[in-house]
Amino acid sequence: MSQAVEPAAIAAQSLSVGSGWISYFRAGQGRPTLFLHAAGGAGEWNPFHQLLSERMDLIAPDHPGFGASADLPELTTVDDLVYHYLDLLDHFELEQVDLVGASFGGWVAAELAVHSPERFRKLVLLGPVGLRVPEAMVADLFLMTPPKLVRALFHDQALVEAALSVEPTLDQIVATQRDLGALARFGWRPFLNNPKLERRLHRITAPTRVVAAGEDRIVPRVHCERYAAAIPNAELVVVPDCGHALYGEQPAAVADAVTTFLAD
Amino acid sequence: MQFNFFHLMPYPYLPDDFDDAEKYPSPSLTFSNRHFDPAKGVDLYHRYLDELEYADQLGYDGIVVNEHHQSAYGLMPSPNIMAAALARRTSRSKILVLGNAIPLRGNPLRVAEEVAMLDHLTRGRLVSGFVRGIGWEHFAHSVSPAESRSRFNEAHDLIKKAWTTEGPFEWIGEHYEYRYVNIWPRPLQSPHPPIAVPGAGSPETMRWVAENHYVYTSVYAPVRIVKTWFDGYRKAAADLGYQPEPEKLAFATPLFIGESDAAAHREARQHVEWLFHRGLRQGVELVSPPGYVSANGLRSMLAAGQKGFSGLSYDELVEQGMVIVGGPDAVRNRIGELRDELGFGQLTLMIPIGDMSAGMTRRNTELFATEVMPHFRPAVEQAATPARAPA
Repeated sequence: MSQAVEPAAIAAQSLSVGSGWISYFRAGQGRPTLFLHAAGGAGEWNPFHQLLSERMDLIAPDHPGFGASADLPELTTVDDLVYHYLDLLDHFELEQVDLVGASFGGWVAAELAVHSPERFRKLVLLGPVGLRVPEAMVADLFLMTPPKLVRALFHDQALVEAALSVEPTLDQIVATQRDLGALARFGWRPFLNNPKLERRLHRITAPTRVVAAGEDRIVPRVHCERYAAAIPNAELVVVPDCGHALYGEQPAAVADAVTTFLAD
Repeated sequence: MQFNFFHLMPYPYLPDDFDDAEKYPSPSLTFSNRHFDPAKGVDLYHRYLDELEYADQLGYDGIVVNEHHQSAYGLMPSPNIMAAALARRTSRSKILVLGNAIPLRGNPLRVAEEVAMLDHLTRGRLVSGFVRGIGWEHFAHSVSPAESRSRFNEAHDLIKKAWTTEGPFEWIGEHYEYRYVNIWPRPLQSPHPPIAVPGAGSPETMRWVAENHYVYTSVYAPVRIVKTWFDGYRKAAADLGYQPEPEKLAFATPLFIGESDAAAHREARQHVEWLFHRGLRQGVELVSPPGYVSANGLRSMLAAGQKGFSGLSYDELVEQGMVIVGGPDAVRNRIGELRDELGFGQLTLMIPIGDMSAGMTRRNTELFATEVMPHFRPAVEQAATPARAPA
């Protein structure tokens, strides 16, 4: 794993939206790319962002209720998030973008591409949730203790031990719980899925790459397989020896899987 | 002083190795119901109802039931069913349902209807509590903890309006929508049965309960913490320009009364430990799932640094005042002290604690009624009250 990447100090920006504001990062030159983060990792400019921003104009907002964004309690469903992000693209006057979403953000990305296929040139889904697979449900991360969640997210046990060896500060605990609370708002029931999404995926026109973590203990592989099968022009690639954290665990390999697909 | 007899109706027959917390992280949510033996369950329900009825006969002012789901901690998924079972077998005590977990109900009108029925069955002896439900119960009934508070607020508003406003009317809310709200029966008590709400220190709850002049009931906590809650409630009321009568504050606590102090502590320990170390064994992920408390609420909870119940020894539980244990004199004195310190006018007592036997429960219930309660009764009321327990 190449952890040599030193993220530049990119300052978060703020944009007034609805009842509050959202916080976002924007950096890099080239094709505009919207990155929708996973349930964890909001509010951070990390090596993965850095690597992407070296190849494209990366826009990475925190979802409402996550990271440094305000709660925007008027948004209660993923459907609301779809319109939220369409409004955001309009605000930035972006007719068409590349779209990358991870886990929960992957679900939102798929819904966006179903809703407005013409707005997205290419689509990358990193270990996405969002499909209803009764025989292989996404793990109940709401019921996990924080150490259990960390163990489930990462495949590399050295990373797990390193993460768990540092006692989190009160602010970090509160921030993590707030992010998970926002996730509960959007995905408690139906549990991180939209029962109607799978039969709508045929609407997506963007060439799509679905990236599965080789050792995902949160989202069973079948979710990625079904996305890849139902989206008309999609391929499935697997990042080996990696847990569901994906860009948090192997930023270089996952960034490579994204940038090689988006380049051309 | 009003004395309420509170039954949690626990399932005491836990496996022998239940103290293995790795194997059994909690008696709630994921503790398999294969451990529930219906043959034992049927006797428990009848025994527990007998105990509540006995409290009514002994002159307790109220008998209390509550709601819990998917747990050996308490066997009353529907407290209204227990209240109905008690309604025609009791005649004097108020029946306190503390309470219906209204965010967990898909249809709060059903609660409005059931409580209105209970009000008639009890001939107006019903007190209607509303609670949010513990964190784990939101997993159990698949209700988002992030919606819990707003569902609570809206369900409360709807139920109260259904009780007090002539129907039919429309209710078009965020969580609930009805074209025709027109409940039959309307409640017997006017304008509606008294409402009680438990609080655990949230300033929003204190203000809301004070605004509505409801009864504020404490939950398990050290006395010094309960003091801050009750002071907060009085302050909220003062800010609204009134002074709440002591009866609007209810102190809830497990209580073990024995023949003497030494005997009481000797006998109580195992049952108090059952309650706090087994019944209340629950990690923060069960108590407070994501979204259940606000970020600010969580911050103050964490900053307070209160140990989990299972982390407190019997002696610590007694010292912190999370349980009252003693012979009759000590219990009388302790209640007097607590009343003076906390200023409550209702005492809600969990006298059946954990895995206590029927015999011990009956003895304690009777000892308290005969040795302690009269001490806190005005003389007039005392003369009018049959002092002796029915045989």
